Amino acid sequence: MKWAAILGITVVLVFMTIYEWPKMKVKMKREKIAFAALTILGGVLAFLLVFYPEMPGPTQWIDAIYKPLGKFLEK
Amino acid sequence: MIEKGKISALQLGMMMYLAITPTAILTAPAITYKYAKQDLWISPIWALSGLITIFIAFRLHNMYPGQNIVQVSERIVGRFPGKMIGLIILFVYLYLNGIVIREYSEFLVGAFLNQTPLIVVSGSMVLVCAFAVRGGVEIVGRFTQLFLPAFVVFFLLIIIPIIPELNLLNMLPFMGEGIMPSISGAGVLQTWFSEYITVSFLLPFVADRKKAAKITLISLFAVILTLVISNLVTLLLLGEITGNYTYPFLLVARYISLAEFFTHLESLHMAIWVLGAFVKICIFFYVSVLGAAQWMNLSDHRPIVFPLGFILLLFSVWVASNMQELLHAISTSVTFSLLTVLVVIPMLLLCIAWVKKRFGRIRTMR
Repeated sequence: MKWAAILGITVVLVFMTIYEWPKMKVKMKREKIAFAALTILGGVLAFLLVFYPEMPGPTQWIDAIYKPLGKFLEK
Repeated sequence: MIEKGKISALQLGMMMYLAITPTAILTAPAITYKYAKQDLWISPIWALSGLITIFIAFRLHNMYPGQNIVQVSERIVGRFPGKMIGLIILFVYLYLNGIVIREYSEFLVGAFLNQTPLIVVSGSMVLVCAFAVRGGVEIVGRFTQLFLPAFVVFFLLIIIPIIPELNLLNMLPFMGEGIMPSISGAGVLQTWFSEYITVSFLLPFVADRKKAAKITLISLFAVILTLVISNLVTLLLLGEITGNYTYPFLLVARYISLAEFFTHLESLHMAIWVLGAFVKICIFFYVSVLGAAQWMNLSDHRPIVFPLGFILLLFSVWVASNMQELLHAISTSVTFSLLTVLVVIPMLLLCIAWVKKRFGRIRTMR
């Protein structure tokens, strides 16, 4: 099942690149870097989430910062 | 300037209305009921953070015309701190949108499409939104204009048939414990109203700016009115059991039964939900794409739409492991983080900008 998810993610990322890459002009270097960086970031995050679904997410980070205040409102 | 499209002030107001109400109608009654009990319908009136954020957005836009809050923060506090603030704001928008997508798909799967995997529902929505966002602000604006009348009509179609069933006694005791419960219930609602800072991203594209302030305020009042009506109807119909349901308003729609054949109006509720969530996700998606493109000094926002959409989809999976956890997070940590980032930080920016202007150290336009 995990490998199916990996395959699915890879297919999505490849399709995204095939669709978007030819639309960027040769001169748009910054855009290409930004696109590649965000795609790689997304891919890495997706693989991490497939293998470690319990990885602490943004909600936990925010919880850690706001814990003292959150307790005050909790019911 | 990345975006060349223009929207009208009316479209701005409609976009803001649809950017706030859909999720608020769905989950606000249950969350507010926890704090305010039978005074939950008064809570939306304390929309203080909506007024504050609108004021901040318009003041900042007057000081730095044509720039949104991510660009303005760089001008006010310098390059590096400005970039950091921009990153935090963009992260919060991604996070918020992840929550919205999660709520959307959880609701659809929980109430209607029991057999469908969550990721299919959220993935298809993100894909559709990505195409709309690629089209730019004009497309999103026109979608809003197209969907808003349908949204309002469906909303009224749920409210009006239920009127004979309402029990006014559920409202009593009115302000039984004074005004405080309704105010503490309003605390969570500020999450939704603080989203009004989005106006700052859309203002640079408004063609007739003179009318913008008035129409934004009108849209804020429309949001308040809608929330008061939906909370009131839920309360009058369900009474004390409002707090037991995750989606009390869906129950209201299910309750309708006119002349024995006009039943199962929850499909209307679903229509409202899909239309509203589409616009809401589109607007926040657009804001994060535009902000990210400006943050990275790109010449075009379109190339990063799909990668950001993919990350957005991951966020929607990542924010919480189940619906209960999500609702708990919304009523505690999310409220504080959104209020800090979308209200307090812009307010500080405005203060610094004002002080800078006052002491004449403001740099001339580049």
